[in-house]
Amino acid sequence: MPSSNGKPEMTGGMASTGKLPSRKAAAIARGISYLALWLIMMPSARPTDLLVGAGAAIAATWLSLRTFPPATGCLHFVSMAALMPHFIWQSVRAGFDIARRVFDPRLPIQPGFVACPLGFPEGLARNTFATITSLIPGTVPCGEVDGVLTYHCLDLRNPVVQQLWAEERLMARALIAGRRHD
Amino acid sequence: MTEFLLGSACAILVVVAVGLVRLLRGPGEADRMMAVQLLGTGSTAVMLIFGAVIRQPAVIDVALIVALLSAFAGLAFVRGISPNSGGGDE
Amino acid sequence: MLLDLWTIVLVSMGVVFFLAGTVGLLRFPDALSRLHALTKADNLGLGLVVIGLLPRLTGIADGAKMIFVWLLVMLSGACLAQLVAHLIRQSGDFKP
Repeated sequence: MPSSNGKPEMTGGMASTGKLPSRKAAAIARGISYLALWLIMMPSARPTDLLVGAGAAIAATWLSLRTFPPATGCLHFVSMAALMPHFIWQSVRAGFDIARRVFDPRLPIQPGFVACPLGFPEGLARNTFATITSLIPGTVPCGEVDGVLTYHCLDLRNPVVQQLWAEERLMARALIAGRRHD
Repeated sequence: MTEFLLGSACAILVVVAVGLVRLLRGPGEADRMMAVQLLGTGSTAVMLIFGAVIRQPAVIDVALIVALLSAFAGLAFVRGISPNSGGGDE
Repeated sequence: MLLDLWTIVLVSMGVVFFLAGTVGLLRFPDALSRLHALTKADNLGLGLVVIGLLPRLTGIADGAKMIFVWLLVMLSGACLAQLVAHLIRQSGDFKP
């Protein structure tokens, strides 16, 4: 489908490999997702409840189109969902990592900053990457300097950047695969 | 089982309350805010456990609201004290 | 009985991770390290409590809602961690 978004300056990473959806397609996809969320929170099939849910989903879609226009990037939900077990496992590892360090009487940490250059373009893709990598063990993203994400890591003795690059490869592959499927 | 669940809910509350020492000691604004976030997550867990104890699924909705409110409290905090947001008046 | 055991083991582990979060918040020397303890240990603690309580619920809808609460806390924690980390760096009240 022809997409009429006006951001040709996005380069590199995943944005160049796939076409962004049109505004209408994005609106429909988001609307369905919000309605699904409503049904999780309010599982009832009464017509009045569904009517309120539809209204809420439409309002949420309108708001999300205003705050995140489709031109800033998009996520492929199926491939994100496929990566979910991996993210949850990383989150479990991160929790055990913290617990191990915290309960150790010597407190084995060596905190510091690491700059991690990434192929993801600015916008939703990089933000999503930063958000998800804040769950993996020992790293918290803390802003960008000249377009390069900076991470605070709990232990500089760990190969943090290699770990982050591995995550990037994983997510880029999933997202590109999702794009081709579109 | 009820005793166990109530006991663990109390344990979480106590643990989170101890974390509030950070609220008193600081030193930074962010440290205080983190203690409040800890309270938010902890009270969400406590609500979920209470819901299971009294077998009242509506309490899950309360937990959902607690989680939402603590998320918005955190956002409001960040906007309130960040220097370039233009929204801070304290 | 097996389900009771499941609940007991997982909820107890959840409490341990909440404890880890608090201890980290009190023991770690600088604000950014404390942020690690807060975001990671607590999310896992809440997740374990949720998984431990799942067999005690009456319907699938309640379970889905409970998991949704956990995902919401995880997402908001991850977003807030970034914002707070950025803020701490900007304001410079950390010891490198």
